[in-house]
Amino acid sequence: MASSSSTSGAGVYEIPWVEKYRPSKIIDIVGNEDAVSRLQVIARDGNMPNLILAGPPGTGKTTSILALAHELLGSNYREAVLELNASDDRGIDVVRNKIKMFAQKKVTLPPGRHKVVILDEADSMTSGAQQALRRTIEIYATSTRFALACNTSAKIIEPIQSRCALVRFSRLSDQQILDRLMVVVQAENVPYVPEGLEAIIFTADGDMRQALNNLQATFSGFRFVNQENVFKVCDQPHPLHVKNIVRNVLESKFDDACHGLKQLYDLGYSPTDIITTLFRIIKNYDMAEYLKLEFMKETGFAHMRICDGVGSYLQLCGLLAKLAIVRETAKAA
Amino acid sequence: MGKARKMVEFDEDDDQSYNLRSSRSSTTNPRATKRARISGEESSHVDKIRLSFQDFDQALSGFKLPSGNERSKNTDLWVDKYKPRTLDELAVHKKKVDEVKSWFEEILDSSKDGFRNNVLLVTGQAGVGKSATIHLIASILGVTVYEWNAPIPTVWQEHMHNSTSGLRYTSKLDEFENFVESTRKYGVIASSNTGGMKARIVLLIDDLPLNNGRHAFERLQNCLMLLVRSTQMPTVVLITDYDKTDSSDQTARSMEDVQSSLERAGALKVAFNPITKNSIKKTLQRICKEEHCKVTTVEIDQVASASGGDIRNAITSLQLFSVKPELNHTKIKLPQPRMNNSYQENEQTMHRCLDNGISSCFGRDETLSLFHALGKFLHNKRETDHVIVADCSDSLVHDQFARLPLKMDAPEKVLSQAHGQAGRVVDFLHENVLDFVSDEAIEDAWCVSSYLADADLLLAASRGKMSWDNKTEDILQSAGASVAVRGVLYGNKQPWSSRWHAIRKPKLWQVERSSIQTKKNLREQRNISFEGSRVSDISVMVTEYSPVLKWLSYRASPELEEKTDEEDSEISEDDEIQDW
Repeated sequence: MASSSSTSGAGVYEIPWVEKYRPSKIIDIVGNEDAVSRLQVIARDGNMPNLILAGPPGTGKTTSILALAHELLGSNYREAVLELNASDDRGIDVVRNKIKMFAQKKVTLPPGRHKVVILDEADSMTSGAQQALRRTIEIYATSTRFALACNTSAKIIEPIQSRCALVRFSRLSDQQILDRLMVVVQAENVPYVPEGLEAIIFTADGDMRQALNNLQATFSGFRFVNQENVFKVCDQPHPLHVKNIVRNVLESKFDDACHGLKQLYDLGYSPTDIITTLFRIIKNYDMAEYLKLEFMKETGFAHMRICDGVGSYLQLCGLLAKLAIVRETAKAA
Repeated sequence: MGKARKMVEFDEDDDQSYNLRSSRSSTTNPRATKRARISGEESSHVDKIRLSFQDFDQALSGFKLPSGNERSKNTDLWVDKYKPRTLDELAVHKKKVDEVKSWFEEILDSSKDGFRNNVLLVTGQAGVGKSATIHLIASILGVTVYEWNAPIPTVWQEHMHNSTSGLRYTSKLDEFENFVESTRKYGVIASSNTGGMKARIVLLIDDLPLNNGRHAFERLQNCLMLLVRSTQMPTVVLITDYDKTDSSDQTARSMEDVQSSLERAGALKVAFNPITKNSIKKTLQRICKEEHCKVTTVEIDQVASASGGDIRNAITSLQLFSVKPELNHTKIKLPQPRMNNSYQENEQTMHRCLDNGISSCFGRDETLSLFHALGKFLHNKRETDHVIVADCSDSLVHDQFARLPLKMDAPEKVLSQAHGQAGRVVDFLHENVLDFVSDEAIEDAWCVSSYLADADLLLAASRGKMSWDNKTEDILQSAGASVAVRGVLYGNKQPWSSRWHAIRKPKLWQVERSSIQTKKNLREQRNISFEGSRVSDISVMVTEYSPVLKWLSYRASPELEEKTDEEDSEISEDDEIQDW
């Protein structure tokens, strides 16, 4: 195990793998093939339209924009790209001054290339700042293009949505995440068992960033990636355990189910954690349509109660009881 | 520093002047990058000089037209490149164009008359061609358009630095006020450049200063009222509508007030509707022909309907969309050029891929992809032949609860592909599901409705507020959506034999919107009446405050009430016109 850490000697500062393995070329970006291949053509041909990239976290929005800007502008990147994210001051003042100044700046670029303003996490911009951006986008269209990244496009005001082409990113499939994990695992010489990677993929839920972070955390904590370690690091109730509870309910072994729940609760997981995992298990569990519907409904209600502050063991037991009743009513004669 | 130098910057908003500016930019020395402001000023001088060549340019542009595309082959946004140049190319509804045009003709012809309607107010949602219409008509009639461009404001540090030298801080609003004041009195000073054709000028105010808070807003409103009442120059004010149900946004609401107050002050209002799908399609086809890009009519159709009546967005999306096919052809043609049969098959699958691709990842709003998903849920297609699924024994259920397997992916997967928000999905299902339930099956309707009600309860927490960033809310969202969708699928035991139904927009939204509107009005009244105490909530307002107000003063309140009623009815009418 000790030999595995050859790439990073003890005590040496290690940059997060998310950054270390961030693709720098568009072609390396995982998932969303349709959108990404378009960006690649744009990188080759130039004349980038104004873009909004919208999608859940960890699906490669920022990576795509950065890679696109690098491929478009190459050595001019430093002076021809203005990158602002939520950590920068992006009030109305900045939009009016910094962005406008940048847009007026003269940079000699090859034909078909434009300066690029990257606004990451644009949904956290105030609507005032977005309003101020409106005209700037239009007036300087001949020299400057904008690329906005956000989680929900609904938070971008309509005039800006209207000026940009919207590119949606959706969650990555498990296979796509696995492929990328394998690359990292091989590059870093991480010892692993397949179930460990499976567990990482489960915890990530389609979020590449989270997957890489969990992988790194497990590796630096235990130097070995297996199921046990992953769930220790990520501190989620073990899905297998929760799955057993559900199976017991379905098989009408109510006592066993309750026992399993008690174990989980005694391990110190909060009801919110337990029910979040429970819901995801039920969502993917193969059962009759009616049962799934009712189970989801009851879990949803229990989740709501817990969110309202009634996060007690009793609620969880009650949920199991309700699920059992549903099971009994629907039982084949 | 910079802002004191120049209060008002006029721009002739013509793409030719922009081109000139950009061509200058390539010739200016690299030193200019540091002094962007000054070079900016230089070019605006050039603009003024260009004004005198305006007529010459216009005469020339007639000849330029055919070769015009080469000038900016690959560097312009298509939105700019394919700006409408003739009235035929303009996609806006003919009636609205005529209204604007007749206003222009009126101000040009009857310039000797004493009273005329000097202000035109153009409203409409984003991207319906408000400014394009104005610019086009102006250029056809030979009218010069001046725009008010906000100068770069002072930053706080700059202000601190300047405060010793006696310069005062002026906000954008201040500048706008000054500008309005000066144009009202003196007209546009730069007009001397055009050589005495004073009547042929129109002032365009597109970028209204943004305001925060009631005080600033009142100033803006007063200022605009003054402009409307007493301006000597024909003026066009453009205001963008925000027709969102969740208009919690302060600015959006205050803009509505600006509209109504301008109208009361006597401005002529022309409201642009969203552009129809057919005219968008026509425009897109024209662009495709000029660009020589191969996009099938089906794809154009999808782009057009996904844009939701926003032509600017449609063109931008088309630009993005058109980059793809080229790549695809190279990808597919290379590996197997001779096997004709499989190639065709391949292309077909490719097209299907494209269809799916465009409907799920592009387009401004989710309505189109959402509709695909809704259609799947509502039609509820299942395997017809009796397939006995060898399920594991623990999940066997009574016949009464058993259903045939679904002819689609897992509902959750379909939902995530549709990018729909849970609340919207539930609303749409609720509005439309009864059309798809068989007339005899009242039990099915009961079952479906009860599940939808449950889903609504699950979503109740996140209704109203836009953000659900934390994970817990996320679970509630997906639980609600799943319950709604699966409830509809499960409950609708004998779906109505597949006949065509249009999916309607939820009526609930109209009710919600008008209730928001009413609440807003009430809140405003309260603010006017009590300065300090904001404790009273809406119900107290309705049950106690407004009746008392009615008793006390018959003059003030009835007028207000009528106004709100009118507004409400107007909004609902607009909704009905929109077909989905």
